[in-house]
Amino acid sequence: MGPVIRKGKAASGVTIAGLEFKNPVMTASGTFGYGAEFAPYVDLGRLGAIVVKGLSLYPRQGNPGPRIAETPCGMLNAIGLQNVGVDDFIEKKLPLIRGAGTHIIANVFGETVEDYMEVAGRLDRAKGVSAVEVNISCPNVKKGGMVFGTDPQEAFKVVSAVRKSTRLPVITKLSPNVTDIKVMVKAAEDGGTDAVSLINTITGMAIDVDRRRPVLATATGGLSGPAIRPIAVRMVWQAAQAATVPVIGMGGIMTARDALEFIIAGATAVQVGTASFIEPDAAVKVAEGIEEYLSRNAMSIQDLIGSLRVA
Amino acid sequence: MEIKSEILYNDRVAGGYFRLGLACRFPEAKPGQFVMLRVSDGLDPLLRRPFGIYRTLGTFGRALGAKGSPSKMKGIELLYRVVGKGTAILSGRRPGETLGVLGPLGNGFPDPAEGSSVVLVAGGMGIAPLYLLAKRLGAGTLLFGARSKAENVLLKDFRGLGLRIKTATEDGSAGIKGLVTGLLEDELTPESVVYACGPVGMLKAAAAISEKAGARCLVSLERSMACGIGVCLGCAVRTKEHRGEKESRFYKMVCSDGPVFQSEEVDWALL
Repeated sequence: MGPVIRKGKAASGVTIAGLEFKNPVMTASGTFGYGAEFAPYVDLGRLGAIVVKGLSLYPRQGNPGPRIAETPCGMLNAIGLQNVGVDDFIEKKLPLIRGAGTHIIANVFGETVEDYMEVAGRLDRAKGVSAVEVNISCPNVKKGGMVFGTDPQEAFKVVSAVRKSTRLPVITKLSPNVTDIKVMVKAAEDGGTDAVSLINTITGMAIDVDRRRPVLATATGGLSGPAIRPIAVRMVWQAAQAATVPVIGMGGIMTARDALEFIIAGATAVQVGTASFIEPDAAVKVAEGIEEYLSRNAMSIQDLIGSLRVA
Repeated sequence: MEIKSEILYNDRVAGGYFRLGLACRFPEAKPGQFVMLRVSDGLDPLLRRPFGIYRTLGTFGRALGAKGSPSKMKGIELLYRVVGKGTAILSGRRPGETLGVLGPLGNGFPDPAEGSSVVLVAGGMGIAPLYLLAKRLGAGTLLFGARSKAENVLLKDFRGLGLRIKTATEDGSAGIKGLVTGLLEDELTPESVVYACGPVGMLKAAAAISEKAGARCLVSLERSMACGIGVCLGCAVRTKEHRGEKESRFYKMVCSDGPVFQSEEVDWALL
């Protein structure tokens, strides 16, 4: 008998901040609603985690339309962080997915450091939330959001404040709209983050040349989809080299092979975003494809993470 | 449900108009519902596109007649016009190939109150989601507006459904010369219910004319959307709601709250 190769689900399990994930595939915030919307299309229990739509202290209406525009191999969005607010989430949305058999990660944001702390604090007391993901990178709101994601001192402030307000693991979601991602990784780590996730969308713009007007009502928006994947892979690779905490990679993942690029570049887990709009079960398919790859190559996910050889 | 559907036919009707027959068994398709279609498996175009369901198909892809029951449904027919990259690719797809279809989605048209007289108002391609409604009602008036006579070929399926049909063309080549909404005022009483689908300008005018006549008006809206299932929040329209003295304004999603809205709840200034 040769060595026993662990096959299937167990081989792709990962641990981040003490949480065990059955596979390294999560849904990205803002692309999977509050989870329950996808129950008719996806077995939620086959996901590594569900990261829900970003939550603020009070409900937010979001931006006027048009809010989205299709671009080559991608899309621009300027939703404006429309959400039901943290209290409604805990009361009405969370009970619908609490028993789904996967981790639920709450994405949080605010206009002030105090907002972030309050939202994280309320989630800390909510049954069924496994971790918080701190959004310091939304490009589509005037206040808050990205200002925390592009200034390392502001990032440090908000992450350390959230760290103090919850016992849950803290993941910091970083913006790609910076010159040196390593500086932001360091700031989040100094603030006490347990992991970093990246990249959020890249600020972009599309113009209707017939009307000579921006396509989006807000003029600029966040670009997502396969168009941004090479940028995301590069930034995840850079972040993973600098980080002492686990890195969660995302940006234009459509297939398992796309996800594998991130893992080989150093990501412990990945998030699937825009792909879920197109194929609701895209994240599950990605998880299955990763398992097949590991099985075919007789590898564990740990063998694969950061296995990139350069030159 | 997401279904890989075989293309039964994809035929040019006239000009840039096509009819696409897809073999897919939906539980039921209500008048006014839509599907999200992936026109190709490639990455560009990336997103699915929404198409109103035109007709339901029975065995062997024949359109279900007036007596057809939904339980015999074996597919759907979409009517579309080539307007951009996505629809251009779609028009090149051939019978036997498969397309990813997500649906049926949205809430569709509510039934009219008993005793009301029904007026359907369609502008060009806006006629597509009205066929199943016209078939179900089997009575009333259809007002159809187009740029010119050639587009009146789209009316062919509506003849024989028991509706009175009046037309308007912008170039005056058929019916009255001008916009379809020019026909609306004379048709309305306070007991009328208007169902409208077409360009935003037409819907806006239909809403205003209906309001003036004290008639109820339902509009089917179209917006860019990525998912069709209420999660991308891309297809937002601002709506208003009156509770006593208080007016509140908030966004609703065309895909999951609509695509049909009461005209008075829509904030037309922002469309």
